[in-house]
Amino acid sequence: MASAVVKVRGLVKDYGRFRALRGVDLEVQQGEVFGFIGPNGAGKSTTIRCILDLLRPTEGSVEVLGTSDLRGHPEVRARVGYLPGELAMHGSSTVREHLAYLCELRQGRGAERVEELAARFGLDLDRRFRGLSKGNKQKVGVVQAFMHTPDLLILDEPTSGLDPLLQQEFLRLAREAHVGGATLLVSSHILSEVEAIAGRVAIIRAGAIVDVEDVAKLRERAGQHVTLTFDEPPSLEAFSALPGLEQVSVEGHTLSAVLHGAPDALLKEASRHTVTRWTAHDRNLEELFMDHYRPDGAASDGDRA
Amino acid sequence: MSSFPVLRRVLQSRRRPLSIWTVALGGVCGMYTSLYPMMEKVNLQEMMEALPPAMVEALGYDDMTSAAGYVGSATYGLVAMALLLVFGIGNGAKILAGHEEAGDLELELTSPLSRQTIYAQRLAALWVQISVLVAMVLLVTLVLNAAQSLGIPLDDLMAGTLGLWLLTGLFGSLAFAVGAATGRRAVALGVAAGAAVVGWMFNAIGPTVGVDWMSAVSPLGWYMADNPLTRGFQPLGSSLLAVTTVVVLVAGWMRFLRRDLMT
Repeated sequence: MASAVVKVRGLVKDYGRFRALRGVDLEVQQGEVFGFIGPNGAGKSTTIRCILDLLRPTEGSVEVLGTSDLRGHPEVRARVGYLPGELAMHGSSTVREHLAYLCELRQGRGAERVEELAARFGLDLDRRFRGLSKGNKQKVGVVQAFMHTPDLLILDEPTSGLDPLLQQEFLRLAREAHVGGATLLVSSHILSEVEAIAGRVAIIRAGAIVDVEDVAKLRERAGQHVTLTFDEPPSLEAFSALPGLEQVSVEGHTLSAVLHGAPDALLKEASRHTVTRWTAHDRNLEELFMDHYRPDGAASDGDRA
Repeated sequence: MSSFPVLRRVLQSRRRPLSIWTVALGGVCGMYTSLYPMMEKVNLQEMMEALPPAMVEALGYDDMTSAAGYVGSATYGLVAMALLLVFGIGNGAKILAGHEEAGDLELELTSPLSRQTIYAQRLAALWVQISVLVAMVLLVTLVLNAAQSLGIPLDDLMAGTLGLWLLTGLFGSLAFAVGAATGRRAVALGVAAGAAVVGWMFNAIGPTVGVDWMSAVSPLGWYMADNPLTRGFQPLGSSLLAVTTVVVLVAGWMRFLRRDLMT
């Protein structure tokens, strides 16, 4: 049985009178890629910074790689790679100098991978920080998080600022690390950013975990927006009766609905008519929240509206 | 080669500003000190008598007849001191709290380095810079002392320089420690600059209004009283400066180890 690499219990964090975390429980198992999803301001970064001992919890406990005292264990910190949500880069030093410095903080570990990783992301090591774009900064962040081949990678919004091509490169890199045995905790405010790599996902909202679920299940629950346009007005009744189809409406020749699960039944019903146009897109996290994670906590799992 | 990475990194990034400060401070000190022979000719004492006595005392200009008196008042007691305090406080506030606010500490604190190490190496970077600047003041004064035959006794000069070093170190460390305790550069600047101004006022005003304790509790009183270059080595004053520095640094250290990182 795999053991927990990150174990968070009842984590509470207050900033003055504001309670940012209201009892977060989280367990990331050895070797898994764990997604950490929630809207901006829900407490993702605060949780991550508590895990990394940058913030001290008001209540609750944090255990990382077998120790609850990260402060007292530099050898454990050496096994962690961290990509901050916003990477600070100032002054006149070059990317190369800065990465060399970060390697030095780790007794030189990772220096041998800098060139290779920079090349993969098309990062020019001789550029100066001043005037570096958001995307380039993010590349530096990714390189420094992965360069020392850590056992645990904690990545706060890793793909923000990266263009789609580099997002793919990032996913490849993350998968390599995963195959190599690393455990990954990846946060995002966009579900689709982590679903390509994550096995399980925790959803945080207003400082509390509202759900921990397999990505596939979550995706099914989130559903898709589907629109189909026919050459004649479709029958609302016929489509409303289909399994997995909700919020069905007809406007002119166009039918729109939310689809959960396989589209098979919908496609078979549609194929009895002439379809002139169709769209299907994954619903975003905000819509999922509206359906399932209302503030009162009532999950309307599978209910028809 | 991999020893003291933070110290070396900070000093590397400070190379240019520190060079400029060193040259500028040396130039200003040299200018002021080399004015002395000219001052002698214009009969400074007469000029001083034309000013209100309280003002002369507050400025520490009451002893202008000797070179030590003049250099002690004008350079060590005013211009060099003021510039060094500006540098020490500004740099002390920036070197930890300033970098923390800018987000530079995040990756250092998640590296295998301990918070203690980061605190110690950043503090060391502050003291190295202060030492370089104080050494420049001493060097310029030594050279002019010899070149213009000012006749300032060497032991007085060394004692005054030690005091200047400790005083700058104290206020720099105060800014550093307040920054380490709060993570706020502005707070660090405000507290240290405020303390320096109050200290200066106490030391300047105390004697003119006849209140002895005012300069006795002021770090500037510990350093110079009325003149840092005519009183020789001050065991009590130096000890007070050093002990206060240590107390302030330990307090900042303890808070820094326990608190949240600011962003």
